[in-house]
Amino acid sequence: MNMQVNPQELTLDPAPLLSVAGVSRFYGERIGCADVSFDLWPGEVLGIVGESGSGKSTLLRCLAGIDRPDAGQVLFRGGAEPLDIYSVAEQERRRLMRTAWGIVHQNPRDGLRMDVSAGGNVGERLMDNGARHYRKIREAALDWLQRVEIAAGRIDDRPRQFSGGMQQRLQIARVLVSEPRLVFMDEPTGGLDVSVQARLLDLLRVLVRDLGLAAIIVTHDLAVARLLTDRLMVMKDGHVVEQGLTDQVLDDPHHAYTQLLTSAVLTV
Amino acid sequence: MTTMIHVENVAKEFTLHNQGGVRLPVFDNVDFTVAAGEALVLAGASGAGKSSLLRILYGNYRPTSGRIVITHAGRPVDIVSAVPRTVLDIRRRTLGFVSQFLRVIPRVSALDIVRDPLLARGVSPEEASERAKAMLARLNLPQRLWELAPATFSGGEQQRVNIARSFVDPSPIMLIDEPTASLDAGNRDVVVGLIAEAREQGSAIVGIFHDEAVRESVATRYLDITEFRKAA
Repeated sequence: MNMQVNPQELTLDPAPLLSVAGVSRFYGERIGCADVSFDLWPGEVLGIVGESGSGKSTLLRCLAGIDRPDAGQVLFRGGAEPLDIYSVAEQERRRLMRTAWGIVHQNPRDGLRMDVSAGGNVGERLMDNGARHYRKIREAALDWLQRVEIAAGRIDDRPRQFSGGMQQRLQIARVLVSEPRLVFMDEPTGGLDVSVQARLLDLLRVLVRDLGLAAIIVTHDLAVARLLTDRLMVMKDGHVVEQGLTDQVLDDPHHAYTQLLTSAVLTV
Repeated sequence: MTTMIHVENVAKEFTLHNQGGVRLPVFDNVDFTVAAGEALVLAGASGAGKSSLLRILYGNYRPTSGRIVITHAGRPVDIVSAVPRTVLDIRRRTLGFVSQFLRVIPRVSALDIVRDPLLARGVSPEEASERAKAMLARLNLPQRLWELAPATFSGGEQQRVNIARSFVDPSPIMLIDEPTASLDAGNRDVVVGLIAEAREQGSAIVGIFHDEAVRESVATRYLDITEFRKAA
């Protein structure tokens, strides 16, 4: 049988949302991440796994517009024109990060304003994006608090009065209220109790699916990767050593390091 | 009959890098096709690679060489070289995998687990619920369990939730790995009936069945994979 098969043709949306080419960042002589390239399509969730020091957080910071890479390009196709995020002015990059992107930090304190009410934290993002109608902003904030399972009665409380799990859910509401196209998450369940993690994971899973978000999630937890991601990149010493469909990489790992990672877990 | 799966020159070898680089050849030069309305049963002793082959067909294991052409939405696609999102699209619309194990997700009810594939294919929530309930009832899962997350269910109950999820809307291709292990005779017959119905409606089926009676009532054809065994 000699038929032509071309999976690329089958896709409805031929342009990736994010194209990453040759991204590298060095700390002096030391490699942060080296020569990372991939495409991410709308609705896709990519996991980056590896142990601490593997370069996954460095890579995420380069991708998310926080740290300029020493080499390589990050191209975002959110608007009419593809945007090379490190060739545009700082101001435009910041506008993009505020409107089209969202970043969920591992530590909610890095993503929240601790001295502003829960409702204010969510509403502020909308005001940043031009919303001015107070009642509508408060309604949207209330709606999002409920979606992340924070009781309406807590809307005027400050995040410092919340538990760690609630703070993390509030941060997620703050990020998602502005309807970003692309969300970056750095160990979103790190530092939480296992029972709290499960609730947060289920919430993230449902939100990502219902909103059709594209997301890049850094985690060292392979069970989190299995639950939330479609694709996986495995990093070691700053290099991507293996990538593919999440279940392929976890169930039939080819690289020695990935085999070591997956065999070190009790159950994934 | 429409060819749904075309397997060409597939070989599989595992390399265990952390155990001295041991290489485990599984099979070599596997060639076969499966048409719509056929049920191909994989035969061969335990360890011959039946489950590995099934996982390769699903795009879960990556073969060492060869290609697997799946008829997806009327077009041939090689699942081995397809990009991840194409593989996911093939699984969503064309390729179902039925195992005896349910991957439990925290807080998701049995009913939602069964509804999910229908919703993913654009069925309305009301219709999806009705069909999911009918399938759970057919598999004799007590109604009081439907709204609960299956984490606390028995092995047999979890298994039936998984089967309900797989057969609530049978895919054009169904890959089935030991679905009746640990089911009682009554439920085993229900599963055999579900497989037969899917096949009569045109699904192409590839399966592994330990139970001889099940195997014989399901199979339209056998493939002994021992013949592809690589000389080690």
